[in-house]
Amino acid sequence: MRVVLALVGLALLGYGAVLAWEFAASRTVNAVEGAAWFVGGPLVHDGLVAPAVGLAGLALTRLVPGPWRTPVAVGAVLTAVLTLLAIPLLWHPFLVVTNPGLHDRDYGAGLAVALGVVWLAVAVAGVIRFQKAHR
Amino acid sequence: MNARLARLIDKVQPREEDFRAPAHDEKVTARLGLWLGIAFLLCFLTGLLSHAVQKPPAWFVWPASPVNLYRITQGVHVLSGIAAIPLLLAKLWSVYPKLFARPLIRSLPHALERLSILVLSGAAFFELATGLFNVAQNYLWGFYFPSAHYAVAWLAAGAVLLHVAVKLPVIRRGLTRLDTPEPPGHGLSRRGFLRTTYLAAGAAVVATAGATVPLLRDVSPLSWRSRGPQGLPVNRTAGAARVTDAALDPSWRLEIGATRLSLAELEALPQHTADLPIACVEGWSQTATWTGVPIADLLRLAGAGTDRPVRVTSLERRGAYRTSILPATHTHGTLLALRLNGERLTLDHGFPCRVIAPSRPGVLQTKWVHRLEVL
Repeated sequence: MRVVLALVGLALLGYGAVLAWEFAASRTVNAVEGAAWFVGGPLVHDGLVAPAVGLAGLALTRLVPGPWRTPVAVGAVLTAVLTLLAIPLLWHPFLVVTNPGLHDRDYGAGLAVALGVVWLAVAVAGVIRFQKAHR
Repeated sequence: MNARLARLIDKVQPREEDFRAPAHDEKVTARLGLWLGIAFLLCFLTGLLSHAVQKPPAWFVWPASPVNLYRITQGVHVLSGIAAIPLLLAKLWSVYPKLFARPLIRSLPHALERLSILVLSGAAFFELATGLFNVAQNYLWGFYFPSAHYAVAWLAAGAVLLHVAVKLPVIRRGLTRLDTPEPPGHGLSRRGFLRTTYLAAGAAVVATAGATVPLLRDVSPLSWRSRGPQGLPVNRTAGAARVTDAALDPSWRLEIGATRLSLAELEALPQHTADLPIACVEGWSQTATWTGVPIADLLRLAGAGTDRPVRVTSLERRGAYRTSILPATHTHGTLLALRLNGERLTLDHGFPCRVIAPSRPGVLQTKWVHRLEVL
């Protein structure tokens, strides 16, 4: 089972490597920018995102009182994920083509409303937990 | 100096055993890996399907019904990718301590395994990040997205399989019961971390799925589409395609072999009305009511058979989607549409006429049609 999985995996990797090589060899921009995007993910994540998550988690356990900790942690995670999804819609350093009906909503307001709902739920859950703990 | 720097780095960097939160438990890792694996599998298979529909190999047949089939497979493609974003981040946080395991490399197999993890992580981030920016039509790169996204998908699939093969004993162990006692912690428990991740994946899907799920259209705040003119978004305007003058030219005629039809002649032919979706490769979709002449009627009118593929050519002079080939399976269900939701097509929607076929990617629903050729 494991050997079969590993061999199929290696075969797919090999096919992907051939396709990636053809892609990279056809134009300089493909090779340079393709490699940057490929290496960029792990570098940015392991070097910046994950340490920031760790420090935020550490701060949360030190600063936020017990009953509030879980709701605030959940709220922080949802805030991070929703903000991440909004980035491509809110931040476009290069010209984005105008297509009526596509990426033309007010995403700043949409994100604000979504985060408002999240933190309202955090507040409600926090108050309930706090009262339970002090009864 | 170098020795001092090395000592400093050694002093400030964490060690594997410094990470004591329940999130790093292998039971958590295995569960997140399972869900991430399912999301990646769905994404990979639907991606291959979409690739095959657009560049069909000789053996590939894509059915014309149900008419919403491509809409669903491509919606699953984009939404499983969206769900994979929080799952991937949680999975990587779960195994982050292993990055600091020392010695860095124990043996040749260990070195190869770490390398395969780097390929897995690189390919996973590449696919999710380029996919997310691509659906927003926010092109932060100079390369051709479909080729890159397709090649790296195979790297990701291979690296995932290899990773599963290597970790299978750990996965089996990790997927045993979750309710064994865990040391009291200060933050989220194992179950709490998992539930938070699932909630985040669900929230990510709901926040974006309005692009394709009608019920969520006005709910999803981060859907990359709104309603658009005539109730349908436009993915390429007549201005961007540089066809405005040619499309408005009164001497425009539809060419089918030697037959030439003016717009008035097309409008005088028996009209059919059908509800068919536009389903974009970028994941948004929308059903609309189309009225026009069935392609099969036009082929018969021109004295051609209806059991051969048809090449559709646009007024566009250049561009990757200037022509499309309508497979023989689709000639009967396809309209050459003149009207959209009860009104004459606007210029941006393909005036004077456009192709609307069942269950096909939006980029192949050629607008500003100029010529039909039976192949």
